[in-house]
Amino acid sequence: MLTVKNLAHWYGKTGKPLYENVNLSFEDAKVYTIIGASGSGKTTFLAFIAGLDKPQSGEIFLDGENIEKIGATNYRKHKVAIVFQQYNLLAYMSALDNVLTALAVTDSEHKNDKQYVLDALAGVGIEAADAKKNVQQLSGGQQQRVAIIRAMLVDANIVIADEPTGNLDDENSAMIVKLFQNFAHEHHKTVIIVTHDTKIAQQGDVKIKLADRQFIAS
Amino acid sequence: MNYLKRSRLYLTHKKGQSLLMLLIMSAILVFVLSGIIIQNAAITATNNVTKSAGTTITVSANRDKMFSQMRSSSSKTKTLTTPTVANTKIAKAGNLSTVAYYNITNTASVNASSFDAVSTTTGTSSMGGGNMPGGGGGMSANSGDITVTGVSSTAHTATFTSNEAKLVSGRNIKASDANTKNVVIEKELATDNSVKVGDTITIKTTATSAKKLKLHVVGIYKAKTSSTGMPGNDPSNTIYTSYTLPASISGTAGKSSTVTYTLENSAKEKATTKQIKNIIASSAFSVSSDDASYQQLLQPMKNVQSFAKKIVWLVAIAGTIILGLIIILSVRTRQREIGVLVSLGESKLHIVGQLFTEMFMILIGAMVIATLLGGFVGNKVGNQLLSQQQTTSVSSTTTSGAPGGGAPSGNMPGGKTGGGMMTNQSNTSAANKKALKTLNTSITPSSVIKLGGMGLVIIALAVCVSAISILRLRPKDILIGE
Ligand SMILES: Nc1ncnc2c1ncn2[C@@H]1O[C@H](COP(=O)(O)OP(=O)(O)O)[C@@H](O)[C@H]1O
Ligand SMILES: [Mg+2]
Repeated sequence: MLTVKNLAHWYGKTGKPLYENVNLSFEDAKVYTIIGASGSGKTTFLAFIAGLDKPQSGEIFLDGENIEKIGATNYRKHKVAIVFQQYNLLAYMSALDNVLTALAVTDSEHKNDKQYVLDALAGVGIEAADAKKNVQQLSGGQQQRVAIIRAMLVDANIVIADEPTGNLDDENSAMIVKLFQNFAHEHHKTVIIVTHDTKIAQQGDVKIKLADRQFIAS
Repeated sequence: MNYLKRSRLYLTHKKGQSLLMLLIMSAILVFVLSGIIIQNAAITATNNVTKSAGTTITVSANRDKMFSQMRSSSSKTKTLTTPTVANTKIAKAGNLSTVAYYNITNTASVNASSFDAVSTTTGTSSMGGGNMPGGGGGMSANSGDITVTGVSSTAHTATFTSNEAKLVSGRNIKASDANTKNVVIEKELATDNSVKVGDTITIKTTATSAKKLKLHVVGIYKAKTSSTGMPGNDPSNTIYTSYTLPASISGTAGKSSTVTYTLENSAKEKATTKQIKNIIASSAFSVSSDDASYQQLLQPMKNVQSFAKKIVWLVAIAGTIILGLIIILSVRTRQREIGVLVSLGESKLHIVGQLFTEMFMILIGAMVIATLLGGFVGNKVGNQLLSQQQTTSVSSTTTSGAPGGGAPSGNMPGGKTGGGMMTNQSNTSAANKKALKTLNTSITPSSVIKLGGMGLVIIALAVCVSAISILRLRPKDILIGE
């Protein structure tokens, strides 16, 4: 379980806070959606729980342990995986190598298992031939599926996605949400999806709305 | 070790960029290697010069002392007495390990007896060779028309080494001629008097009670200069013998007045001079070393050496800056990639390691290219540098050598401390110069290792500089930018 306690953040020296006194909990086996207007601070928040940035004040705990104590690199490596709107795959490799690289970096037990990766990619509709092409030759939807497989195979307990369907059509979006739901429910993972699309937001097990500098769960 | 694989994937994916980097790195390394090669070659050549330049140490009369002694002399007829030193002392100094060989020179003035001296002008000068600053022994007596120059070995005598005199028949005077009356005479003198190798000639000493001496002709030499322009001192009238003969004529048997030691290694000049001084142990003698020829040979080498050193440093510094800038720029274009790796949990050290590995792989390729090209460039540049250096140094010798080493120097009896030495040195350097016309600029394993070392330092510095910008990257800003 991921717990955010008394988090507050503002940019600049005298800037007014984006939000203060944020207290949230994210449980296993659930999909959380966070919806909010552009500029409300969704991405900023994700960066904190992803260990990519630090809030001005407040603490974040994973299963009771402060993530600062876990260490940012260690936390990113073993506890959390991120899916970005722009896919953020390594452009000089194939889909297969992208996933293998992530497995190697996170020191996964499957780090040299090509077949394991190819099977997983085939499971999201990317056949071996495509998996071995340079990743930039794949469509946006395919690339985002590669990114999701990368996030899922590294064995992190928390998967965070920032507008994962932002660049995709409805069909691909629906498919990706389904992937996240299966992953959370079947593997007992925490999935946190940030979106500004109400249709996507509706599909979360827990829906959080960020408005007027408040996170309100429903 | 996943970053090794990433390096390989990156380089093979970005072929054009990798090739460009390879070219830039090769260019840098070719210059570094040329510099190293030239530097090495110049160092080797310098060491050879040190060994071969034939620095000499001359023990001869301390002239100041000699003249002041003459002035303070109480006798009515003031005579210059040339000091002598025991041959045993000379030999002892000659046995020093740093001495290659030595040549004793004693001279005496005598008169022709069984033959006629060659005369360019009528009459004989009252002073003969005595007006020469370097006049050797035997000058205190009346001058005769023949100069007997006794040496340890004519082959090592300045006039012969400089080709002022050249043996045309018979043999040279050698160390084994000591205590004999074997002589080598000039061709003109021989022809005029119909003397051949194997004949015997007779001379008369200039002492009041003149003695006759029978000399055995073992060789005939030809003097290059036909006339010295000095009356009574025709080069043809110099007879070469062993150093023992003039000494016995002058009544100083077992002693000698001048000796020149030639060193094994020019670098030992100072220490050897000191040792010889201690052995001779007489204030009547001055012990002076001459390493002008050594210095003259050394200078171009040193210039090439320091130039090569500058090339290496300049190129290395410029290369580091260029590569550093390129890597910094490429890190900028690779920010997203680096951010992704960071978000996956890759340590920044490994990311720097990946950059370093990429550069290292390019370095290996560039090393191969540089090794193929560097030898060629180094050879061309090095020899060009050397020939320029030597042209300047040779022309400067010619001008400086001329006043002292002009026409009269070669055939002066006892001219050791004067012009003769000059001839000697410029000749030695001319001989050695042949060996230094080209630098041996071959690539040795050690220069390749040195190149690899420099290459590693260059890329390490360049990667370190760019690492600063990697470590400062904030992944959030890169990855989640709008
Ligand atoms: N690095 C930054 N420095 C200053 N202001 C920032 C920075 N990042 C984001 N902001 C500002 O903070 C606010 C929230 O940004 P963000 O978290 O990206 O919003 P969202 O993802 O909800 O659109 C915006 O007004 C944005 O301009
Ligand atoms: Mg955002």
